[in-house]
Amino acid sequence: MRVKLLYHTDLDAIKHVLAQKGVLFDADAMMDHVVYMFEIEDCSRVTTHQLVRHRAASYDQESQRFSAATREGVVTPPSIQSNEAGLKAYDEALKVIYSTYEQMVAAGVPKEDARYILPGAIKTKLVMTLNARSLMHLVWQRTALQAQWEIRELATTLHRLAQEATPELWTKIIER
Amino acid sequence: MKASLVWSSPSPERTIAVAMRRCYSTKPIEDIEVELEQKGPEYWKYLIGKALQDKSLDVLEHLVLTLMVEGAAETDVGLLTRTFPYLRATRLRSSDWLLTLNARTLVELWRDPRGKPLAEVIVMELTQRETCPILSELAFGVKVNAS
Repeated sequence: MRVKLLYHTDLDAIKHVLAQKGVLFDADAMMDHVVYMFEIEDCSRVTTHQLVRHRAASYDQESQRFSAATREGVVTPPSIQSNEAGLKAYDEALKVIYSTYEQMVAAGVPKEDARYILPGAIKTKLVMTLNARSLMHLVWQRTALQAQWEIRELATTLHRLAQEATPELWTKIIER
Repeated sequence: MKASLVWSSPSPERTIAVAMRRCYSTKPIEDIEVELEQKGPEYWKYLIGKALQDKSLDVLEHLVLTLMVEGAAETDVGLLTRTFPYLRATRLRSSDWLLTLNARTLVELWRDPRGKPLAEVIVMELTQRETCPILSELAFGVKVNAS
């Protein structure tokens, strides 16, 4: 998985306006006004289904209607990777799935319909834009121990990138 | 009522184009950015025009604007923030506000009689600053003269 911060709000520009109006900087109030746009690449569709449940955000994701799926683009969970019998079954099923997908596309089935056979493990790419308040909620929920490993990895990376970009908004420890 | 731009997403219109290409491309983001730089603003205009025509306004959500708005009544700001969830407001003093919204919300404000007065002052500010001339022309019918 690869996560890249494409842009974030310039906090100094906001501070300048606050100073003009004689208003003290309040990190909590400013969380509605600071936004981040991220590119997320090569995480599974299983995880992006979890991600888009955080509705106060904007998403645009690589479409399976128009781009062809490839066998190389799947995520293998560590619990399967480390389980010999599980991994064998997983690999065999993926071979059947992709072979069926390719046969259907070759036979003239539109990609948007052939994709119904594709696995949740398939890798995807998307852009996500959200404000600091929504991101903090996402990080709070998805770095919890109960969260699944892949979205925890994603949320941890999002947290790190946002904290590096705008440290003043992320000074509070996220309490559970 | 008066609006002053505080901050906008960098390369505002290319950002919309990036979001749109993300849906149709399997390439890494850097390749999409290079492709969009090479093809230039005419291509971004084509993509934004297509998004507006197809009513695929979600791609506009990645262009975010923060403005200081002076002379807006609390009742009006309250109504609009309740109606448009991606419009965020913080009072600075009396009738002066810090507002953050995305370009989709701006289009929706423009099309709604309750939001039009606010949208008009924001679009006027964006036009004067030439922040997003392609969007100003295509979504709001405002032609920005190249200086």
